[in-house]
Amino acid sequence: MGADTDVGSGSTRTGEFREEASRPEGDRDLPLSERITRNPGPAATWAAVVAVLIAAEFGAIVSGLLSVPPWGWVGGLVPGVVEPVAALLATVAERGAELPTITSRSVIDNTGYQTPSGWEGTTLGLSPAVAWALRVAVIYTYSFTWLLVGWWGYTLYRRHYRIPDWTPRDDVVNRFRRHSWGLFGLTIVFAFVVMALFAPVLGPTTVDQNIENPYENRIDYYNDETGQVESIFVGEANGDTQSRGQGDNNVGPLEYDQYDRFHPFGTLPDGKDLFTFMASGARVSLLVGLTSLGIAGGFAMVFAMLTAYYKGLVDLGVVIAGDSIQAMPQLLFIILASFVLSDTWIAEVYNGGLVLAILFGITGWPALWRAVRGPALQVSEREWIDAAKSYGQRPRVTMQKHMLPYVVGYFLIYASLSLGGVIIGIAGLSFLGLGIEAPVPEWGRAVSAGQPYVATQSWHISLIPGILVVIIVTGFNALGDGVRDAIDPESDIGDGGNENVAAGGGA
Amino acid sequence: MSRHARDDNVPLNADATSSRDLALEVENLRTVFHTEHEQIHAVDGISFNIRRGETVGLVGESGSGKSVTARSILGLIESPGEIDPASAIRFEGDNITEYTESEYESIRGDGIAMVFQDPLSTLNPVYTVGNQIKEALSLHQDLRGTAATERAIELLEEVGIPDAARRVTEYPHQFSGGMRQRAVIAMALACAPEVLICDEPTTALDVTIQAQIIDLLMDIQAERDLSILFITHDMGVIAEVADRVNVMYAGEIVESAPVEPLFAEPKHPYTRGLLRSIPSTQTSGDRLETIKGEVPTPNEPASSCRFAPRCPKSFEECSEVAPIPTAVGDDPDHDAACLLYPESMTTDEAVAHHRPADDGGEQ
Repeated sequence: MGADTDVGSGSTRTGEFREEASRPEGDRDLPLSERITRNPGPAATWAAVVAVLIAAEFGAIVSGLLSVPPWGWVGGLVPGVVEPVAALLATVAERGAELPTITSRSVIDNTGYQTPSGWEGTTLGLSPAVAWALRVAVIYTYSFTWLLVGWWGYTLYRRHYRIPDWTPRDDVVNRFRRHSWGLFGLTIVFAFVVMALFAPVLGPTTVDQNIENPYENRIDYYNDETGQVESIFVGEANGDTQSRGQGDNNVGPLEYDQYDRFHPFGTLPDGKDLFTFMASGARVSLLVGLTSLGIAGGFAMVFAMLTAYYKGLVDLGVVIAGDSIQAMPQLLFIILASFVLSDTWIAEVYNGGLVLAILFGITGWPALWRAVRGPALQVSEREWIDAAKSYGQRPRVTMQKHMLPYVVGYFLIYASLSLGGVIIGIAGLSFLGLGIEAPVPEWGRAVSAGQPYVATQSWHISLIPGILVVIIVTGFNALGDGVRDAIDPESDIGDGGNENVAAGGGA
Repeated sequence: MSRHARDDNVPLNADATSSRDLALEVENLRTVFHTEHEQIHAVDGISFNIRRGETVGLVGESGSGKSVTARSILGLIESPGEIDPASAIRFEGDNITEYTESEYESIRGDGIAMVFQDPLSTLNPVYTVGNQIKEALSLHQDLRGTAATERAIELLEEVGIPDAARRVTEYPHQFSGGMRQRAVIAMALACAPEVLICDEPTTALDVTIQAQIIDLLMDIQAERDLSILFITHDMGVIAEVADRVNVMYAGEIVESAPVEPLFAEPKHPYTRGLLRSIPSTQTSGDRLETIKGEVPTPNEPASSCRFAPRCPKSFEECSEVAPIPTAVGDDPDHDAACLLYPESMTTDEAVAHHRPADDGGEQ
């Protein structure tokens, strides 16, 4: 088709998916399901791989999905018919959780103790360090396989099933693929998300056993003096594995403690495992960050559409509201407001996480709105908006269909940039002892706890969480840069920085 | 081309034409833009009407207020612009200037639709042409899914796009200029309007394509009994398409007449200037005439003839008296707003006729 001759951005396309593989002309009007039936090969291969991936984690997926709705409450709603079904689903969720998955702790178990004859309790008698590293490797391999399979599915769709052989989004995707700084950001962000998703199985121990209820759980260890396997409360064991800087009081990164527990990042001053703490903290940071961004982004996008479409007084009103909010010092306001709200029910949801998310959301939208207001006003002046009005399109649809897609890209960029800011903000608050309540893990609290020991051999307590925050915020910024350059390649003409990075990557 | 509106021997002045025959009636339309320093009277008290199945031309230079007129009719004037409350635009018996935004939405598209000047910027580049036609179809004819796709293909065929079944899935950039304008017209037709406003629909196209688009519009008009308001700066295009012509200058209509008398004996010096500035292959030798100067910005209510500074026939009173439309020539529908008319009077009498204090007039 002569489609590709008059596209302005032709030079940026890789041409990789241009071949007119197996796409007969007659398929054009058929719905997607029909198109797949006519050429089932690629789709079937892909579906088989996806099925294998799902099967590998079937139990976790089922229990994850089914345990979300409160079944007891649902069952009580309509007794009789619904109740048994709800009860059944709840049981399925519980059973599902018991099904083995390739990433579950029991498949590759890293808890055990060393007797003179070797390691007891760990999988295949591996040392806990190796067993743990193996499990982490399996989890990350599994996750990145999903990423690749997703990309593979997209290319299959593009090559075999999509009707148009080119859409404007293709250029964006292709530009991002060659943006090594953006890909670096994507990798970091994806690794962070995986850390948050798989937090319960990533740590060498669990939050429940090690951090929240150490005096309700016992571990076995081999006592060298008595030559016997003894049992001890985790809390007591933690008391002997503190990292407090002086003398023997330190368990550093990649070290075993005297109870044969492996600590990839060392221990906290109270003897708890730092890696378990960090993984679980990643989940908290990401959830609060995403929720607050959802709130802020929702406000920002709705206001951007309304102000760009109606202009005038609506615009002025939002400008005043946004300026008023931005005039307040954000962190001070959040500290004050979270104190005021501390006795209400909302402060108890997710250990204060919801309050933080809401506060970051309502103080954060003006910045996001300002960032997308310009592009939104620009697109509202385009003639197709007038054309849509002239044939009587409703304002909501005009905004949604003809304005929003042009602004979403900019929104994603600024959202990914500000997510890093929110994560720093949450960490900052918990550094000050505010925000997420102890003992729920939060990165800032680790930095705070390690602060007195920065200059001692227990340097790892502050430094590792601090470096991770830096890496992750950088990752979000890099991803934002990559998306921006992919969406709007002209926005960076002049400084050439990103072009060099892209060229240097040579992808 | 439908000339039947004039063949019916309908009396041609507006009073006698029953409102049933009028598709659209614009009366004393004033659209004012309030800027920081001044008020721009972009459209300053114009009146015209469009009968059913008729094409009315609105012609004038850039900046004479043609597009603002079109946008006023569709209610697309945005702040700082404002339609004077004394203005009336009558469509289907209602004065639509009093409509709320949601009432306006109900007549946009299936009542009055518009074809814009630049077809590339009218089409949203990220959606296929078919998608955008279907959007109008779902809005006005309640068609969705396969039915809408079929109808969209029919419409594309109707506007003369070959291989419509394939083209319906293509993006605007894959269309040539002429094809794009055909697609935009198909979009307008998808709304099934009664009045179609064409705002310079051929200006961005080259001459051969221009002729095709005009033929297409005329065919569609004959098939669907559409009423068309055709806006252009091109007298040649107007001669081809229009049944009646309104010549606009600086926010006012300076001459209005059926197309033949207008071209045969133009009365207003501005119309004469416009017609003399059309290049022609028949007469040769002299340099092409132009109208010197440019359209003034109408920043205050008319207190004089706005064309006077550029008018070859201007005299003293032209800068003191604002002319009113006056019957000229043989055709009863032929009006011009110029102090030189009515021809039967002496200049002094004519000036007196136009003076606002004087109640004696044709009305």
